[in-house]
Amino acid sequence: MGVNYQPVLWNRNKKIYDKWIVIGMLIYLLCFIGITIITNNETSVETLIIRAFGTLAIALLHIILVIGPLARLNSKFLPLLYNRRHLGVSMFLAALVHGGFSVFQFHSLGNVNPIYAIFTSNMDYGSLANFPFQVLGFFALVILFLMAATSHDFWLKNLSPKTWKRLHMMVYLAYGLIILHVFLGALQQQPSIGSIAIMSLGFITIATLHLVTGSKETKADKTKTQHIENGWEYVCDIDEVPEDRAKIFIVGKERIAVFKYDNKLSAISNVCKHQGGPLGEGKVVDGCVTCPWHGYQYLPHNGQSPPPFTEKIATYRLKNDNNKIYVLPEALAEGTEVEPITF
Amino acid sequence: MENKEDDFYIGYVDNISVKTKKTVTNFVFFGILTLITIAVIFAFTQNTFKNSTFELTTNTKIMGVYHEMPYPMLKVKTAENTFKNILLLGFGKSSANPFLKKIRNEISQLSGSMVSIEGNLIYYNGKTLLQITNDEKITLVEKANSQKLPQTKSLVKDMELKGEIIDPKCYFGVMKPGKGKIHRSCAVLCISGGIPPVLATTDENNISEYYLITDLKGNPINKKILPYIGKPSLLTGNIVQLEDWYQLQIDVNTIKDLNRPSKIY
Ligand code: HEM
Ligand code: FES
Repeated sequence: MGVNYQPVLWNRNKKIYDKWIVIGMLIYLLCFIGITIITNNETSVETLIIRAFGTLAIALLHIILVIGPLARLNSKFLPLLYNRRHLGVSMFLAALVHGGFSVFQFHSLGNVNPIYAIFTSNMDYGSLANFPFQVLGFFALVILFLMAATSHDFWLKNLSPKTWKRLHMMVYLAYGLIILHVFLGALQQQPSIGSIAIMSLGFITIATLHLVTGSKETKADKTKTQHIENGWEYVCDIDEVPEDRAKIFIVGKERIAVFKYDNKLSAISNVCKHQGGPLGEGKVVDGCVTCPWHGYQYLPHNGQSPPPFTEKIATYRLKNDNNKIYVLPEALAEGTEVEPITF
Repeated sequence: MENKEDDFYIGYVDNISVKTKKTVTNFVFFGILTLITIAVIFAFTQNTFKNSTFELTTNTKIMGVYHEMPYPMLKVKTAENTFKNILLLGFGKSSANPFLKKIRNEISQLSGSMVSIEGNLIYYNGKTLLQITNDEKITLVEKANSQKLPQTKSLVKDMELKGEIIDPKCYFGVMKPGKGKIHRSCAVLCISGGIPPVLATTDENNISEYYLITDLKGNPINKKILPYIGKPSLLTGNIVQLEDWYQLQIDVNTIKDLNRPSKIY
């Protein structure tokens, strides 16, 4: 994992994933271009490309944005999360074709620099009806570019997972900008029930899924511990933790995961060092806690990734009192060895 | 003992449980159906494109009498006693003027001269335009003869016309759509690059008419008209006929924005 910045290497699952990305994109382009040529054949090649790729990009963006909450709601969707960055980069490339052709077609070959022209050729910033919608698309494309450019784990390391995550959360800003870009642009000139309906449906689907997931997680956050004895917090009984799995608790302000394996129990931080995945939803595989998102591994008794990897997470002390598990809320330094409790 | 029944997916481990596989397969199937639905909806909800034409890859040589009243045009004989005035444009979002500099330096008077020009034709609805991409492709055929210049005829004063100010290059063929909000930024750049502004009107019977816009003295307008481009507007001015084209002479400050079609729903 930490050694060569390439934890997520090529493997069969990724190849299948990528194959389906390409198939999906080709089917989309064939449908859009085919239908347009058959039913509206006076189109120009440039317009065909601009529209085919613009609409493809927004369609892919919706698929990307539903995968996150689906994987949070049901772990069977996790394989879709595993290689989502390739879907993201593909979406960016489609958006780049759209934006690139648009800038070339509408803003280039004039008497000013094309980028300057995006901002200045229509100055009606104060009017919704006349708003320069291309500016919104431009900012969205810049965000998508930054995300695609930093999608490799090399950048995750270099920017620190926190900054990286913040940058990648900007996908929601980009999504908002793109929705406005379409509603204030193409849909104003050619409004139709169909296109407005599909855009609205997309937005409602994404918003609902995120709200449902969000409320589920807030509820989970409320299951705080109650009894505190001499600083030790009671979390649950031993048989409440499934074998090779964990239960997640909030102690202090941190989420921790209490794992049960080989008649032992260990507590570690719930937050994966890779992209902050929920380790407590992972499983102990070959003696290692394995992250559900991309499979980073940690030893449950010391929070260290097995050699040659170097990731370390915080560990916590546990106590068994009559099959009741107690945690000491202070996080130990990352990678601190703690004797597991046995039962 | 590891609990093998307990389904857990690890990306880099090739095998994948039957249940997970089924969920993912369903997602892919559903995802592709969604993609097809979106493609169908977006493809079918496009407005119908016009049959305007831009011969990007074909060069055509035309010969005629050059004139600028005030915009560069070529009066071309199409049959005995019938002429067509072809609007001349430069490459990209530029007027013909930069491309005419060379020939202007070579001959004393360009207006009224018979010249031959090779370029790309743009045409729609009875109007023809020519894009010049190379100043070498303009040659003098016959020296200036003011007899051959077209005649203008003043038709109506203070006429009110509703329509959209477009850039003729894109509207008559280079882009689809070459008008409206989608195209507005481009039209602004074209007209600010010297391409003549044109008012396109459509009556109840869907018959369109086009007017080259000039100021009240008949001089070109470019920069001052930029804020009014690509929006439904009301223009008031004097109409002058230039053979197969109309001109509309206006005071830019009297243009009224009708705040119509590009509306918010
Ligand atoms: C530099 C950035 C961009 C520019 C200059 C730009 C420009 C345009 C233009 C001119 C149109 C109208 C095209 C037409 O209908 O003929 C359009 C439409 C559209 N754009 Fe963009 N865009 C940009 C970025 C984006 C991005 C990043 C996305 C999404 C990922 C996007 C998605 C769309 C969609 C879905 C439409 C409506 C469908 C269509 O007409 O193509 N655009 N854009
Ligand atoms: S492995 Fe990527 S977040 Fe844990």
